[in-house]
Amino acid sequence: MTVRVRFFARFRELLGTDIVVTVPEGKGLVDLVKEIAQKNREGYDALFDKKGAFREFVIIMQNGKRVDTAAAGTARVADGDEIAVFPR
Amino acid sequence: MIAIQTDDVDIGKLITAAKKRGTGAIVVFDGIVRDDDIREMELEAYGEVALPELEKIASEAKKTYNLLSVDVIHRIGRLAIGENILVIVVGAGHRKEAYEGSRFIIEAIKAGVPIWKKELCRDGDRWVPGDHQHGCGTGK
Repeated sequence: MTVRVRFFARFRELLGTDIVVTVPEGKGLVDLVKEIAQKNREGYDALFDKKGAFREFVIIMQNGKRVDTAAAGTARVADGDEIAVFPR
Repeated sequence: MIAIQTDDVDIGKLITAAKKRGTGAIVVFDGIVRDDDIREMELEAYGEVALPELEKIASEAKKTYNLLSVDVIHRIGRLAIGENILVIVVGAGHRKEAYEGSRFIIEAIKAGVPIWKKELCRDGDRWVPGDHQHGCGTGK
Protein backbone atom coordinates (compact mmCIF):
# COMPACT_ATOMS: atom_id res chain seq x y z
CA MET A 1 0.00 0.00 0.00
CA THR A 2 1.07 3.58 -0.61
CA VAL A 3 1.37 6.36 1.97
CA ARG A 4 2.34 9.99 1.45
CA VAL A 5 4.46 11.71 4.11
CA ARG A 6 4.80 15.48 4.18
CA PHE A 7 7.23 17.40 6.36
CA PHE A 8 6.94 21.12 6.88
CA ALA A 9 9.12 24.07 7.92
CA ARG A 10 12.44 23.03 9.45
CA PHE A 11 11.57 19.34 9.15
CA ARG A 12 11.02 19.80 5.41
CA GLU A 13 14.44 21.33 5.01
CA LEU A 14 16.04 18.40 6.80
CA LEU A 15 13.98 15.52 5.43
CA GLY A 16 12.27 16.67 2.25
CA THR A 17 8.57 16.69 1.53
CA ASP A 18 5.94 14.82 -0.45
CA ILE A 19 7.59 11.49 0.18
CA VAL A 20 5.57 8.63 -1.20
CA VAL A 21 6.44 5.23 0.21
CA THR A 22 5.17 1.72 -0.29
CA VAL A 23 4.66 -0.05 3.03
CA PRO A 24 3.16 -3.38 4.16
CA GLU A 25 -0.34 -3.62 5.66
CA GLY A 26 -0.49 -2.64 9.33
CA LYS A 27 2.61 -0.50 9.24
CA GLY A 28 3.01 1.58 12.40
CA LEU A 29 2.95 5.35 12.03
CA VAL A 30 5.94 5.92 14.29
CA ASP A 31 8.02 3.26 12.55
CA LEU A 32 7.22 4.78 9.18
CA VAL A 33 8.30 8.29 10.22
CA LYS A 34 11.40 6.90 11.95
CA GLU A 35 12.50 5.01 8.87
CA ILE A 36 12.20 8.09 6.71
CA ALA A 37 13.88 10.32 9.30
CA GLN A 38 16.84 8.00 9.64
CA LYS A 39 18.17 9.13 6.28
CA ASN A 40 19.29 12.36 7.95
CA ARG A 41 20.75 12.30 11.46
CA GLU A 42 19.92 15.94 12.15
CA GLY A 43 16.39 15.38 10.91
CA TYR A 44 15.96 12.34 13.12
CA ASP A 45 17.26 14.18 16.17
CA ALA A 46 14.91 17.08 15.44
CA LEU A 47 11.90 14.73 15.59
CA PHE A 48 12.84 12.14 18.21
CA ASP A 49 14.39 12.23 21.65
CA LYS A 50 17.03 9.79 22.88
CA LYS A 51 14.37 7.26 23.85
CA GLY A 52 12.94 7.32 20.35
CA ALA A 53 9.77 9.21 21.29
CA PHE A 54 8.48 12.21 19.37
CA ARG A 55 9.74 15.45 20.85
CA GLU A 56 7.06 17.52 22.58
CA PHE A 57 6.91 20.19 19.88
CA VAL A 58 6.32 17.70 17.05
CA ILE A 59 2.80 17.57 15.65
CA ILE A 60 1.54 14.65 13.61
CA MET A 61 -1.54 14.66 11.42
CA GLN A 62 -3.08 11.69 9.69
CA ASN A 63 -5.35 12.75 6.83
CA GLY A 64 -5.67 16.22 8.31
CA LYS A 65 -6.53 15.03 11.81
CA ARG A 66 -4.20 15.46 14.74
CA VAL A 67 -2.67 12.30 16.22
CA ASP A 68 -1.64 12.40 19.86
CA THR A 69 2.11 11.82 19.69
CA ALA A 70 2.00 9.92 22.99
CA ALA A 71 -0.45 7.47 21.43
CA ALA A 72 1.19 7.45 18.02
CA GLY A 73 2.99 4.22 18.86
CA THR A 74 -0.20 2.24 18.36
CA ALA A 75 -1.41 4.12 15.30
CA ARG A 76 -1.33 2.30 11.97
CA VAL A 77 -1.29 3.77 8.51
CA ALA A 78 -3.66 2.74 5.73
CA ASP A 79 -3.46 2.80 1.97
CA GLY A 80 -3.72 6.33 0.59
CA ASP A 81 -3.04 8.01 3.94
CA GLU A 82 -1.36 11.39 4.13
CA ILE A 83 0.86 11.85 7.15
CA ALA A 84 1.99 15.39 7.97
CA VAL A 85 4.81 16.12 10.40
CA PHE A 86 5.58 19.63 11.55
CA PRO A 87 6.75 21.70 14.51
CA ARG A 88 4.37 23.45 16.86
CA MET B 1 -12.91 36.35 2.26
CA ILE B 2 -10.69 33.80 3.92
CA ALA B 3 -7.51 33.06 2.00
CA ILE B 4 -3.90 31.98 2.06
CA GLN B 5 -2.09 33.54 -0.84
CA THR B 6 1.20 34.87 -2.16
CA ASP B 7 -0.32 38.08 -3.56
CA ASP B 8 -0.59 41.26 -1.54
CA VAL B 9 -3.88 42.42 -0.08
CA ASP B 10 -5.95 45.45 -1.08
CA ILE B 11 -6.98 46.51 2.42
CA GLY B 12 -9.02 49.48 1.18
CA LYS B 13 -11.14 47.19 -0.94
CA LEU B 14 -11.77 44.89 2.01
CA ILE B 15 -12.85 47.81 4.19
CA THR B 16 -15.27 49.03 1.53
CA ALA B 17 -16.74 45.55 1.15
CA ALA B 18 -17.05 45.17 4.93
CA LYS B 19 -19.40 48.16 5.23
CA LYS B 20 -22.80 46.57 5.42
CA ARG B 21 -26.15 47.67 6.70
CA GLY B 22 -25.78 47.84 10.48
CA THR B 23 -22.00 48.19 10.50
CA GLY B 24 -20.85 50.71 13.07
CA ALA B 25 -17.21 49.74 13.44
CA ILE B 26 -14.51 48.11 11.38
CA VAL B 27 -11.24 46.98 12.95
CA VAL B 28 -8.28 46.25 10.72
CA PHE B 29 -5.33 44.21 11.92
CA ASP B 30 -2.35 44.34 9.60
CA GLY B 31 0.63 42.25 10.62
CA ILE B 32 3.70 43.33 8.70
CA VAL B 33 7.30 42.18 8.35
CA ARG B 34 9.17 44.14 11.00
CA ASP B 35 12.71 45.37 10.46
CA ASP B 36 14.39 43.25 13.12
CA ASP B 37 17.68 43.36 11.29
CA ILE B 38 16.45 40.67 8.94
CA ARG B 39 16.73 40.59 5.15
CA GLU B 40 13.38 38.98 4.39
CA MET B 41 10.80 36.64 5.83
CA GLU B 42 9.60 33.37 4.33
CA LEU B 43 6.20 31.93 5.20
CA GLU B 44 5.01 28.40 4.63
CA ALA B 45 1.61 26.83 5.26
CA TYR B 46 0.04 23.41 5.34
CA GLY B 47 -2.69 24.85 3.18
CA GLU B 48 -5.07 21.90 3.19
CA VAL B 49 -5.33 22.17 6.97
CA ALA B 50 -4.58 25.86 7.56
CA LEU B 51 -7.36 27.20 5.32
CA PRO B 52 -10.19 25.20 6.94
CA GLU B 53 -8.83 26.23 10.34
CA LEU B 54 -8.89 29.91 9.36
CA GLU B 55 -12.48 29.43 8.17
CA LYS B 56 -13.41 27.77 11.45
CA ILE B 57 -11.81 30.56 13.51
CA ALA B 58 -13.58 33.22 11.44
CA SER B 59 -16.89 31.43 11.81
CA GLU B 60 -16.48 31.07 15.57
CA ALA B 61 -15.53 34.75 15.93
CA LYS B 62 -18.53 35.82 13.86
CA LYS B 63 -20.89 33.84 16.05
CA THR B 64 -19.30 34.71 19.41
CA TYR B 65 -18.88 38.45 18.82
CA ASN B 66 -21.86 39.11 16.55
CA LEU B 67 -19.61 40.20 13.73
CA LEU B 68 -21.21 41.31 10.49
CA SER B 69 -18.17 40.53 8.38
CA VAL B 70 -14.80 38.81 8.73
CA ASP B 71 -11.92 38.77 6.27
CA VAL B 72 -8.70 36.91 6.99
CA ILE B 73 -5.92 36.85 4.42
CA HIS B 74 -2.63 35.21 5.34
CA ARG B 75 0.24 35.55 2.93
CA ILE B 76 2.88 32.93 2.23
CA GLY B 77 6.11 32.96 0.29
CA ARG B 78 9.01 35.37 0.58
CA LEU B 79 8.19 38.82 1.95
CA ALA B 80 10.31 41.94 2.30
CA ILE B 81 10.44 44.24 5.31
CA GLY B 82 7.28 46.32 5.48
CA GLU B 83 5.12 43.91 3.49
CA ASN B 84 1.76 42.68 4.77
CA ILE B 85 1.81 39.20 6.31
CA LEU B 86 -1.66 38.85 7.76
CA VAL B 87 -4.66 41.08 7.29
CA ILE B 88 -7.81 40.73 9.39
CA VAL B 89 -10.78 42.99 8.69
CA VAL B 90 -13.67 42.71 11.09
CA GLY B 91 -16.98 44.55 10.86
CA ALA B 92 -19.50 44.81 13.69
CA GLY B 93 -22.33 46.95 14.95
CA HIS B 94 -20.16 48.38 17.74
CA ARG B 95 -16.46 48.87 18.43
CA LYS B 96 -16.35 46.53 21.44
CA GLU B 97 -17.37 43.50 19.41
CA ALA B 98 -15.11 44.51 16.53
CA TYR B 99 -12.02 44.89 18.74
CA GLU B 100 -12.72 41.71 20.69
CA GLY B 101 -13.47 39.69 17.58
CA SER B 102 -10.30 40.85 15.88
CA ARG B 103 -8.23 40.01 18.96
CA PHE B 104 -9.82 36.57 19.21
CA ILE B 105 -8.97 35.82 15.59
CA ILE B 106 -5.31 36.82 15.74
CA GLU B 107 -4.72 34.94 18.99
CA ALA B 108 -6.42 31.80 17.64
CA ILE B 109 -4.33 31.92 14.47
CA LYS B 110 -1.11 32.31 16.44
CA ALA B 111 -2.10 29.46 18.76
CA GLY B 112 -2.56 26.70 16.28
CA VAL B 113 -2.89 27.28 12.54
CA PRO B 114 -0.11 25.42 10.71
CA ILE B 115 1.71 28.37 9.19
CA TRP B 116 5.41 28.90 9.87
CA LYS B 117 7.78 31.76 9.35
CA LYS B 118 11.46 31.84 8.77
CA GLU B 119 13.58 34.90 9.29
CA LEU B 120 16.24 35.28 6.66
CA CYS B 121 19.19 36.96 8.36
CA ARG B 122 22.53 38.16 7.14
CA ASP B 123 24.31 35.57 9.25
CA GLY B 124 21.96 32.64 8.59
CA ASP B 125 18.28 31.80 8.69
CA ARG B 126 15.98 30.51 11.40
CA TRP B 127 12.43 29.31 11.88
CA VAL B 128 10.55 31.19 14.57
CA PRO B 129 7.51 30.08 16.53
CA GLY B 130 4.67 32.55 16.89
CA ASP B 131 5.48 33.99 20.28
CA HIS B 132 9.23 33.65 20.08
CA GLN B 133 11.44 36.68 20.50
CA HIS B 134 12.02 37.87 16.97
CA GLY B 135 14.98 39.37 15.25
CA CYS B 136 18.33 38.19 14.01
CA GLY B 137 20.82 37.89 16.83
CA THR B 138 18.10 37.69 19.50
CA GLY B 139 17.15 34.72 21.56
CA LYS B 140 19.88 32.51 20.16
